[in-house]
Amino acid sequence: MRRETQNVLLILLGGALVKIAVNGDFLRYVKPAQQPWIVAGGAVMVVLGVVAIVHDVLAARSKVTVDAVPEEHDHAHDDGHAHSARPAWLLLVPVLAVFLVAPPALGADSVIRTEARVPSSAAAASAAAFPPLPMGNVIPLPVNEFVSRAGWDTAGTLNGRTVSLTGFVVHTDGGTLLARLVISCCAADAFPVTVRLRGGEADHLASDAWIQVTGQVVPGTATKDNSYTPDFTPASVTPVPTPKDPYEY
Amino acid sequence: MDTLPGDDTITEPGRRNRRFRISSVEVLCAILLVAILGQGWLQQLFDVPALRTGSTVFVAVCVQALPFLVLGVLISGAIAAFVPARVLEKVLPKRAGAAVGVAGLAGVALPGCECASVPVARRLMGQGVAPAAALTFLLAAPAVNPVVLVATAVAFPGKPEMVLARFAGSLATAMVMGWLWARWGKLEWITERALRRLPEVAGGQRWRVFAETARTDLVEAGGFLVLGALISSALNVLVPAKWFGVLGDQIVLGVLVMAVLAVVLALCSEADAFVAASLTALPLLPKLVFLVVGPAVDVKLFALQAGTFGRSFAVRFAPVTLVVAVGCAVVAGLLVGVA
Repeated sequence: MRRETQNVLLILLGGALVKIAVNGDFLRYVKPAQQPWIVAGGAVMVVLGVVAIVHDVLAARSKVTVDAVPEEHDHAHDDGHAHSARPAWLLLVPVLAVFLVAPPALGADSVIRTEARVPSSAAAASAAAFPPLPMGNVIPLPVNEFVSRAGWDTAGTLNGRTVSLTGFVVHTDGGTLLARLVISCCAADAFPVTVRLRGGEADHLASDAWIQVTGQVVPGTATKDNSYTPDFTPASVTPVPTPKDPYEY
Repeated sequence: MDTLPGDDTITEPGRRNRRFRISSVEVLCAILLVAILGQGWLQQLFDVPALRTGSTVFVAVCVQALPFLVLGVLISGAIAAFVPARVLEKVLPKRAGAAVGVAGLAGVALPGCECASVPVARRLMGQGVAPAAALTFLLAAPAVNPVVLVATAVAFPGKPEMVLARFAGSLATAMVMGWLWARWGKLEWITERALRRLPEVAGGQRWRVFAETARTDLVEAGGFLVLGALISSALNVLVPAKWFGVLGDQIVLGVLVMAVLAVVLALCSEADAFVAASLTALPLLPKLVFLVVGPAVDVKLFALQAGTFGRSFAVRFAPVTLVVAVGCAVVAGLLVGVA
């Protein structure tokens, strides 16, 4: 591969990183705290590419005007390392993936593929980790926390309380689930937390449709055997737009 | 400097003599044009659930790892341009065995993932550091740095022995590999390109050498990182998640399966502790193996090593690392008492 092509690829890839970091699409792939890293990494790539291009152009120009260019002694190395640049073509794959395919955030397919789990922090925690829910009629809770409390909180802080959860619809053999994916670094390490919706209001909704439900947990339904998927009796099921940040942390 | 301008591919030898050659620039333009015209078709192609999940994971791994690779090539470039070989020679002990120890502890100082340490280790070799020491650094840096240890402590609250065992197991893996290399390793396994000494850099050229080294390393290693991301995202979709669940009480099988999973999943060393911790059915020892093996050898790292140090190096180094890492993890786990 020619040096010019490598530089163009670097600028394209760096540009792709900066683009998704700035327009917020990066939240589909990694946790929010990565943003400055992605911007900096992408910017450095672009700068390295641009610096190399500018240097080459200046060098070529001075070559035309001046006969001997002392600095160019190292340009003579043409001996058999062309093979090393061939994998550089692979840099084009993420560029095309980001600009043209723009893969969506993980959804129902990923939930079906992976077994639901309870976050480790919940498994290790004692009752002290679950303070009583705040006062109020409807308490919004992350699905992650709801599942942790349903499975591990011996004091029953959820029982009889009305909460609201936001997640997407997943249809399985066992019924309709409301699911959310939890990531700790990037989407490669995502694992789902799930809630089984009783009553059937969500059955007609398409997979991956985002909904907000309010209702109550059915006490004692989150067990090891069902991968800690508590039953939930929804009082209302409302479709909501896909959130900008689709994961929980 | 090794890969410098003028390295036109020799893929189109027949065209070389004609007046108009198709170079990679034209190929790139053609690919981009076709891809843009075929965007609708492309998106339709990726509308299959499994492919969609796979492509998301692929982009996620790239987006996650590329900034760390950039950090690594910047450090690599800085070593090439600003740290003369004689300084490194003065700082490191003469004997390879002792240098391995220093290199292992030096790994504590580079907070980053495994992707960052590959170009740095390669540049250290290029500056005349003993390969055994550079390889120890390569294995130690992603596993024993403070960021990773803190992440492990957060993921396993109330179990400080897990952090200690991970530190001990990973450091032991790195040093054992270094000593093994010092004893039995052969220089000819490493591609000559990675070992080539850089000429002494003149004062006025430092920034240019810095930028050029970083750029070259980034282009080379970046391609292999993408390859590793492709493999790991494919495996991520293909490996059945059931593997995680059924291993509750079979400790030996658990250890082996977690070692294999660490290799194929290729998680970032800052995230793997959370994944391990969330597998509630497993005992601690297999989880520890997962944490020690992951930063030392995985498919992404294998692709990077093969590209940087050569294939004949990687096919020898990676399997031995896997065995040593599993052994060190088990021993560390038993000694510290996580089992």
